[in-house]
Amino acid sequence: MSEDKQQVSRRQFLNYTLTGVGGFMAAGMLAPMLRMAIDPVLQSTSSEGEFVNVGLAVEDITTTPQRVDWQIEQVDGWYQSKPGRSAWVYKDDNGNIIALSPVCTHLGCVVSWEGNDSHPNEFFCPCHDGRYTKDGVNIPGTPPLAPLATYEQKVENGILYLGKAISRKGA
Amino acid sequence: MHKGKGMKFVGDSRVSADRTLSKIPKDYSEYPGRTEAFWPNFLLKEWLAGSVFLVGFMCLTLAHPSPLGGLADPTNAAFIPLPDWYFLFLYELLKYKFASGEYILLGMIGIPGLAFGALLLAPFLDNGPGRRPHQRPIAVIMMLLALTATVWLTYTSAAHVDWEARAAMDQPVPPNSLEIDTSHEGFALYEASCLSCHGDALQGGAAGPSLVGIERSAEEIGVIAREGTEGGMPAGIFTGTDEELEQLVDFILTVNEQAAE
Amino acid sequence: MLQKIYDWIDERVDITPIWRDIADHEVPEHVNPAHHFSAFVYCFGGLTFFVVVIQILSGMFLTMYYVPDIENAWKSVYYLQTEVAHGQIVRGMHHWGASVVIVMLLLHTLRVFFQGAYKKPRELNWMVGVLIFFIMLGLGFTGYLLPWDNKAYFATQVGLQMAEQVPIIGDQLKILLAGDDEIVGAQTLTRFFAIHVFFLPAALFALLAAHFILIRRQGISGPL
Repeated sequence: MSEDKQQVSRRQFLNYTLTGVGGFMAAGMLAPMLRMAIDPVLQSTSSEGEFVNVGLAVEDITTTPQRVDWQIEQVDGWYQSKPGRSAWVYKDDNGNIIALSPVCTHLGCVVSWEGNDSHPNEFFCPCHDGRYTKDGVNIPGTPPLAPLATYEQKVENGILYLGKAISRKGA
Repeated sequence: MHKGKGMKFVGDSRVSADRTLSKIPKDYSEYPGRTEAFWPNFLLKEWLAGSVFLVGFMCLTLAHPSPLGGLADPTNAAFIPLPDWYFLFLYELLKYKFASGEYILLGMIGIPGLAFGALLLAPFLDNGPGRRPHQRPIAVIMMLLALTATVWLTYTSAAHVDWEARAAMDQPVPPNSLEIDTSHEGFALYEASCLSCHGDALQGGAAGPSLVGIERSAEEIGVIAREGTEGGMPAGIFTGTDEELEQLVDFILTVNEQAAE
Repeated sequence: MLQKIYDWIDERVDITPIWRDIADHEVPEHVNPAHHFSAFVYCFGGLTFFVVVIQILSGMFLTMYYVPDIENAWKSVYYLQTEVAHGQIVRGMHHWGASVVIVMLLLHTLRVFFQGAYKKPRELNWMVGVLIFFIMLGLGFTGYLLPWDNKAYFATQVGLQMAEQVPIIGDQLKILLAGDDEIVGAQTLTRFFAIHVFFLPAALFALLAAHFILIRRQGISGPL
């Protein structure tokens, strides 16, 4: 190949310098603003799910799912609130406590236990007739594509504490 | 008609070559060749100036964080309202006798209206052909007078204000961070002597500043509770025993420790 | 590739003249500080525009965190200043920019005045410029209230009382600004927010466009 010396013309040089100076100005101006805008992305979201007393004694949990409602403390930027949470809680055949999130995995409606008379022993979502078996697994052929989420749980002094809802893989 | 990249313009305008230039003053086109292209020659110098300016501006921003006062409290009678600095000259003007009271309209609309109106209509008031300052002495003298008056009014207004005391009185209190321990033995004493002025959460109020975030020792607080401060709190507000005083001071310090967390 | 896209567009809408006009127009030597240092006075206009750009950008970003509501306005500003990374700086840019832009505008106005650059044929552009000055003062006044702290509240109180003194329409003018005939509160804040963020900037953009178009049509005034 030829060894042409690519001379930079005066105009090109000025263009490069101008672009550089413009870039410096734009960066100096925008850097703090962009950093501020993306701050929520960079803040660690690994807030360990705090366990909250849901006001239900373990001995009161039966094999029939019952709905429990409780409140959590939530700090949303400058706004503090106590939004409600709810769960369907029961004991399975082995005596393990199961706490299912009532949020339908299809489009986020709220499911209820035996919510439809024609589907006994199942969770039923009234929005699009989604159905789940007792252990929260979606029934094939109905709209939902994943089982209901389960809450992290622990038992202290015979009282049930629930944490974050963990979603499960599709079945 | 030329189109595309070969399009030609005349001088510093969008007027194409075949248009008459009679309306456009031949200011510097009389100096042929002593011009440069906007991009990149001129803009490079402009932006270099801009970069220097930006560096200075960011230094100012970093060195002086933007101030935020306490949450607006309409009952705060101790707060003296003051506009932003570029309205201070108007604010100061209204203190003069001829610009307030029955002359309020003169001070608020008459004088500023005249000044700004004259500024807006300057080209028509000063419509002679000469551009050099000495060719239009009246306009230049009026402007210099107005400028001096504005600067002087702003300066007088600002010189009267104790900016540091103002800032100290108007500190932001973190929201919802304080839970006042009303079972503390000092709280009853606080309630009896101090609460009416300093507020139920030590946040301060109309007559007294906030007691949160103060940098005073226990002894100092004790002395102030009994003897007041110079020019502020009167003496003799707290009249309890030394033991009660200790409890009160302890209460105030406890709240401050909570707030500092 | 880029060249092809450009040619495709240029063939249809003929965009070349637009940028050639801006890029290639000749700027006279007498405004260039590199030739005569005293020409730095011609920079004030450009620097004013630069600060306006800073104000627009920082303002856009600040509204990501700011709430125009008396319950939350102060809290959101406090949160922005204390919890958000660089929030302090961005609010600082907007706060100091508001002052710097007035200084730059003043210097630019004085430059144009003392050079007599507003004389025929540039009378209109001078008036547009003075209107921009008024808009800037209006932006400063309405922006002052938004953090909803003590100085904001009381300065606005004073400003509204001044509006009330205007003959004949004073009372209506005050209610129009404050949203209520007595209270300076929730409705005042939303009104000032709307004026500060939408109405005045819209007017500012229109006037700035007029200002620049007039400069391009008439050119920069010649040397003294």
